[in-house]
Amino acid sequence: MKNKYVRITILLLAILMVGVIAGGLRLRAIEQLPVDYDEDDYLKAAQQYAGLMRTGDWKGFTETNYRPEHPPLAKIIFGISILPLPEKPLIPDRPTTASPDQNLPQDQLYNARLVSGVLGMLESGLLAIVNPLAGLFLAVHSFTIKYSSQVMLEALPAFTSLVTILGYIQYKHKNHDPSKSRGINGWLVISAVFLGFTAASKYLYCVVGVAIIIDWLLITGKESWWRRALPQILLWSGIALVVFFLADPYLWPAPIVRLKESILFHASYATGAQEVQSAQFPIWQPLVWLAQSVPWNREVFILGIDLLISILGIVGFSRMWVKERVYGLWLGVAIFFLLIWPTKWPQYILILTVPVSYAAAEGFGRLVVEPVKSAWRNRKVKRERPHLSVRESILSAPWLLPGIITMGVLILFPLIYQLAMAMTDFSGLSIRDGIQGGIWREVWLGISGQVKAISPFSPEFGSSTTVNYAGPSLIKDIFSYGDGGAFLVFEVIWTVLSVGLQAIFGIGLALLLNRREVRWVNFWRTIFVLPWAIPEFVGALFWLRTFDPKVGWVAQAAGTAGGGGGAMMVSNLLHAGGPNLALLLLLIAATWIGFPFIMLAASASLKLIPYEVYDAAAIDGAAGWSMFKLITWPLLLPLVVPVLIIRAIFAFNQFYLFFVFAPIINYSGFGTFAYISYSVFRYDNSYSISAGINVITIVVLIFLLMLFNRWGKAGEGVTYAA
Amino acid sequence: MQHKSSLFQKMLTYLALVLVALFVLFPIWEMAYLAFDGGIYGTPTSFRLFPIKPTLSIFADMWKQAGQNISFLLALRNSVIVSLGAALLSVILGASMAYAFARFRFPGRQAGLFGLLGGTLLPPVALMTPLFLLARTLNIQSTLLALTIVYTSFAMPFAVWNMRAAFQAVPKELEEAAFLDGAGNLKTFWYVDLPLALPAIGIAAIFAFLIGYSEFALGWMFVTRSSEVTLAMTLSNILIQGSKQWSMMAAISVLMSIPVVVVFIVLQRAFLQRMLLGNLKA
Repeated sequence: MKNKYVRITILLLAILMVGVIAGGLRLRAIEQLPVDYDEDDYLKAAQQYAGLMRTGDWKGFTETNYRPEHPPLAKIIFGISILPLPEKPLIPDRPTTASPDQNLPQDQLYNARLVSGVLGMLESGLLAIVNPLAGLFLAVHSFTIKYSSQVMLEALPAFTSLVTILGYIQYKHKNHDPSKSRGINGWLVISAVFLGFTAASKYLYCVVGVAIIIDWLLITGKESWWRRALPQILLWSGIALVVFFLADPYLWPAPIVRLKESILFHASYATGAQEVQSAQFPIWQPLVWLAQSVPWNREVFILGIDLLISILGIVGFSRMWVKERVYGLWLGVAIFFLLIWPTKWPQYILILTVPVSYAAAEGFGRLVVEPVKSAWRNRKVKRERPHLSVRESILSAPWLLPGIITMGVLILFPLIYQLAMAMTDFSGLSIRDGIQGGIWREVWLGISGQVKAISPFSPEFGSSTTVNYAGPSLIKDIFSYGDGGAFLVFEVIWTVLSVGLQAIFGIGLALLLNRREVRWVNFWRTIFVLPWAIPEFVGALFWLRTFDPKVGWVAQAAGTAGGGGGAMMVSNLLHAGGPNLALLLLLIAATWIGFPFIMLAASASLKLIPYEVYDAAAIDGAAGWSMFKLITWPLLLPLVVPVLIIRAIFAFNQFYLFFVFAPIINYSGFGTFAYISYSVFRYDNSYSISAGINVITIVVLIFLLMLFNRWGKAGEGVTYAA
Repeated sequence: MQHKSSLFQKMLTYLALVLVALFVLFPIWEMAYLAFDGGIYGTPTSFRLFPIKPTLSIFADMWKQAGQNISFLLALRNSVIVSLGAALLSVILGASMAYAFARFRFPGRQAGLFGLLGGTLLPPVALMTPLFLLARTLNIQSTLLALTIVYTSFAMPFAVWNMRAAFQAVPKELEEAAFLDGAGNLKTFWYVDLPLALPAIGIAAIFAFLIGYSEFALGWMFVTRSSEVTLAMTLSNILIQGSKQWSMMAAISVLMSIPVVVVFIVLQRAFLQRMLLGNLKA
């Protein structure tokens, strides 16, 4: 019993602490952030509503909704918040492209921002009740802080969508067998009502409703879902719809027309608005926002660990999925939506920072808490050391010596040198000092505490002719520089997509060539092996030519064909460019370069699966797809995974392809770490940043190798005798 | 697989194979076409699958001048010197280490193997900066020696890794027999292991050679004189200059790729096995 009280007290303290941290950080942001885009517009809307309330013109609510593309609920609440303040003249109209008006009435701005801040604090506190660590992550997430401390529409729907999902989860847990339950209970009503509020604040946040419906259908099972769940789902959505309508007075006079207008606005804004077009964000830009902390007014946010939260989120996703699937669905639906939606403003990611924080808390448990726990439990178990004979060790020394000396000078020393460089501000300016020992001097002075590290963001960094100590913060902050977040995300997307495509192509071809009816297997294989045999940079040159927008074959083919059909489309695409197309072109070339290796490895692995297995399966009635799914694939997979990891390392380090394509592809963040490191060294002369990128490359490489080592053991004893 | 497939399935299979073959051959054919077409010199005005004026004159031009003030043969000579140097250095300096990793147990062996594997997969860019500074400090910039050293550092971990596999493949019984006859470690290595592992070492050396032979971008950091560039580097120079002499680029690409392609196809199996890296534990 006592234990229980202690636990509850600790939990309450934790929730309180999260609330205090969230509130404090938001208060700081409310006071210090300059006026941002849209804040002037929403404050103006608030002024209009406040005016209506003062004069008691309640009918006016049905005709007032400044910036009508967004429903009015959040704007009305901002209006209430400025009601106690003296009236001020209306903020003048400005085009959406204009920079924000810095001369807003300060007291009104503060009150409206305070509303956002309180909602943001409540959101973190509420999440902390479910999981204190998740609440903490949400409280310190810099993008979440920023957009829940400004007069933006995000704070309210972010909060209400969390209530929506919590209500649904409570309902689910109250009914131990949800497939049998009928009717509706209090929790479900809460969920529906808050979904209505969410919709009346900002449509985008309704992804949470989509996630709930999917989850609902998944638990009720396939056969009888429409009979069991459909009435409930309809009821739930019906309540939400009614609440939405009630909370959006602007719709009352002409519901269909005005709803249609506001929704259609988003579609045309996404494809037509000048600011959306000129931003030229790639489709994966939302991931870039998730991979970095707010890059503007950095000092306001104190902590910049958004990237860490995202990484922990990836680690913890599967655990979150097992624990509470609906959060995972929420994250999935939201990411899918953000990827396909053409407008890519940073505030949109607030629709998913709750599930990301939740996943991050799970990830923290998996990466930190559990290893520490198990180490504590196993502290008494002594590890057995392999027996080493002294004689053999001495004997081996002279054999090892020449290799150790050569590799020490040619590989180990350079790597240590990189590490040292990455702790300084060594650049083209300070090259003379650096070569003459400046790097070692500064690193020594810095580590022994004799000089203070200069910040990588300070203007002194890299701007003197002597090397300065910068400390480990350079490596830590490498992704905060300029396009850092962009190239990190690009690297991940690149590795996953290019290896994925190569794997589909390579394994598919190996399976095709393994079919009985295929003749001249060696002939086909020899053709397919060509890209592997041709040096990578030559292959890249081939594709550079093929894709050349003027003289390349793809463009030329479009020209002679009279400019019609698919070829014309390709040609237009090549001229139009854009980061998405650029990625596609690079992926085509990378697939060409990389698939033969996987094909060969998969062919070799297929030969290792004995025919008897197939015969036995055929007797049991397996054929075609089920044969593949149940026999071939499970046997093939452990053999192929190490190959894919090797290919992933190559893709991760891909250099020549980017080097060759650089003249025609010039978008921020395009390139692997290897290429970025090279170009930073070569064109910016920022040697220390280049070295920092290399240090990170090596860390990732070690991680991938450990993965390879683990999977490599799965296929132990297998020799690839193709 | 076991059961008979329908005609339709057969057609689908072949259709897929033909499509992939076209995908593979398309860019290759375009480059070959550029190299042999004297009518367009890299800037065609319409789409053609075959050369208008088949000619070898581009190759003749290239033979005389592959890059700035350098003939094809001279560039090839540089390539061979540098790559062969790197291959020999890697194999000679690494062989005994590979043997030690294959046969002895010593402290730090597992970590060493892991490091070796890491070195194999290290992007050359990660070593470039310090080596560049090292070359500047030693004042050996713009000599073929500097390039040879750089390429050795790129190639050596993989060479050692391969040779270790080669030595491991030599049956231990043969060694034990040699020991029984009174041969020492060195003698056993020289008379038993080395001859037996030689073909595999040869493959390791060919691989090391190819790493240098096909490195085309980083070399420019270590060479400033145009008489000391390799064949691959002349290509990257054409690319960087921006003039895009496509025909010239095509001719050099085709000519320098042919030997590599032949070697790869002949040694396909051995190369594949090497590039799969085996397991750490052995």
